Amino acid sequence: MNRRTLIAAAAAALGAPTRLRAEDAPIKLRDLYARGGGLSALALRLAGTRIAVEGFMAPPLRAESDFFVMTKMPMAVCPFCETAAEWPDDILAAYTKRTVRVLPFNRKLVARGVLEHGEYLDPATSFVSLLRLVDTSYDLA
Amino acid sequence: MTPRLVVSAAALLAAGTAQAQDLPQSGNQWFVDGQAAVQAILDRTENTNRARNVILMVADGNGVGTNYATRLWVGQQAGGYGDDHVLPYETPEFHAALVKTYNVNAQTPDSAPTAGAINTGVKQIFNTINLDPTNAVHEDCATEAGNELTTLAEMVSEDGKAVGIVSTARITHATPAAVYAKTASRDWEDAVPEGCDGSTDIAAQLIAQMQAGVIDLAMGGGRRHFMPEGTATEEGGEGVRADGTNLVETATGAGAQYAWNTETFEGLALDGSSPVLALFNDSHMEYEYDRTDEDEPSLADMTRAAIEYLEAAGGENGYYLEVEAGRVDHANHAGNLHRTVTDGAAFAEAVAVADELTDDADTLLIVTADHSHALSFTGYCGRGSPVTGLCYEIVAGQIEHGPTPNTAADGKTYTVVGFLNGAGSVLVRQTEEGTADASQPAADSEVGAAEGEAQPVYFGSRPDLTAEEATDPDYLQQALIPLSSETHAPEDVAVYAKGPWAHLLDGTIEQNVIFHVMHHAVTAGE
Repeated sequence: MNRRTLIAAAAAALGAPTRLRAEDAPIKLRDLYARGGGLSALALRLAGTRIAVEGFMAPPLRAESDFFVMTKMPMAVCPFCETAAEWPDDILAAYTKRTVRVLPFNRKLVARGVLEHGEYLDPATSFVSLLRLVDTSYDLA
Repeated sequence: MTPRLVVSAAALLAAGTAQAQDLPQSGNQWFVDGQAAVQAILDRTENTNRARNVILMVADGNGVGTNYATRLWVGQQAGGYGDDHVLPYETPEFHAALVKTYNVNAQTPDSAPTAGAINTGVKQIFNTINLDPTNAVHEDCATEAGNELTTLAEMVSEDGKAVGIVSTARITHATPAAVYAKTASRDWEDAVPEGCDGSTDIAAQLIAQMQAGVIDLAMGGGRRHFMPEGTATEEGGEGVRADGTNLVETATGAGAQYAWNTETFEGLALDGSSPVLALFNDSHMEYEYDRTDEDEPSLADMTRAAIEYLEAAGGENGYYLEVEAGRVDHANHAGNLHRTVTDGAAFAEAVAVADELTDDADTLLIVTADHSHALSFTGYCGRGSPVTGLCYEIVAGQIEHGPTPNTAADGKTYTVVGFLNGAGSVLVRQTEEGTADASQPAADSEVGAAEGEAQPVYFGSRPDLTAEEATDPDYLQQALIPLSSETHAPEDVAVYAKGPWAHLLDGTIEQNVIFHVMHHAVTAGE
């Protein structure tokens, strides 16, 4: 390694911490829930902070909405499994800055927003969420 | 003349065939193992005892493809290549046959009539349970009266046998319901439509069958279907029964024991003195991958408890037990192979437990699936390619796969398993502007768009895929046809059996024949 590449490597190393900030390194949605149910320690620790979460957009509950539901896996609707559409237990409501631009339900996205927990009733849809991102922006992963 | 000619031909054949020990391959391990396999089959003796007990174990949706995937998974988890692994029901002790699974009016079957065929001896109508297919019409409750078939459970309970049902799905779901229910719709789990005054929902039928002494033990999910609308369940959910009845209270009031989590499960008295109703989840029980022992018992644990209970309850008359791994099917529907094979592995463990706790002399143990799924396998993968992951190259001069994943004509990697349809579709709905529009998922209802209505257009390309992404437990294998849920498939499934009259399961049979083998086994000699 010559001096020039050493400097470049050092600069890259110095740059790494900024790329590893919570808002830039997506965590998986499943990691916000504990195995067997309930919020994970990670979710409790990150409450109130801006984070990036990787997941999928469930088909929207209504058009022109300002929130969507994130799922850890594409939201397959199986008529032979359920008699009515059911939400999984481990979902994340994402309240957006602007009207939701719908993405394919089976394409991975990354959403960035401030994590909140606690029961919240959406006034427009009566959807009850226990875990949310607010001030969310998002795009395909 | 004819017999003598046959003998002579046999003698000539023997004389012209080299003795095995003279062959250059005689020391090869494959050759030796092959000889041993034939010897194991020769050593079989036909068991013509009367079966005191019958255990029917159904992995829902476990077609030969899914079963192969589970075999690889279990074998690879044990450190092997996987393909040479032997699941507990794949040993030479088990007889086997192929099973034709179609319904009377459906080339592609669903779980309700398939399980009904196994439990009554008659193939049935799509989405109905235990109604005569000559007259039954799906969702027409007027076709129920007079068309109810008699179930194996009803027959054997008349003879004093105890009857149990275990499922990781809702206990009101299709496969477990086929042990006790008769209905024009598998979806009538907690209510029947208005005007169907002569009909009874599936949950109420279970409790009625428990009160009638037909069903002695029922363990699974589906708690909400037994509790009144608005009533809190033990785990924070709500009941959904619009008629306001609390069937858990009905059951316990009639003397049944009730369990709803691991702790109460472990507190059940398994001495056979009082019936058991155990409902471990409001809906289906958790996938094995998501389950914790503290919350819910495993399928193997439930199977062990059920056998202990039924041994006591049935006594010398014995028992009939149906065990279902219900969520092998659901994970397939989701297009998620990881949960498919981990639930498949849990099923294999439950079979091993059932086999271990019973005696081949008096227990007919049947292992099968109700139908298959639209999953398939690609090539050409080297041995040891992870079944949930990428397909790696075959390398000359070595047995294990090489380090490089195969790529398709698009230059991208692909997985060992894919689905023909489902949520993992690589095709995406397009807008008129040609951009992705996901305002609706790829729903089944879009197939029959009204005349003049523009059909949605789908196209897409396969995403890049790393080994880490492919083996992620939440990954959906790539699929072709865009559907909101992957579908069943109609090809044959396998049935494996050991114990009294297991040898009758041979060749390629209709699914309803399984009932007749069970029935023959429990009535042999009469």
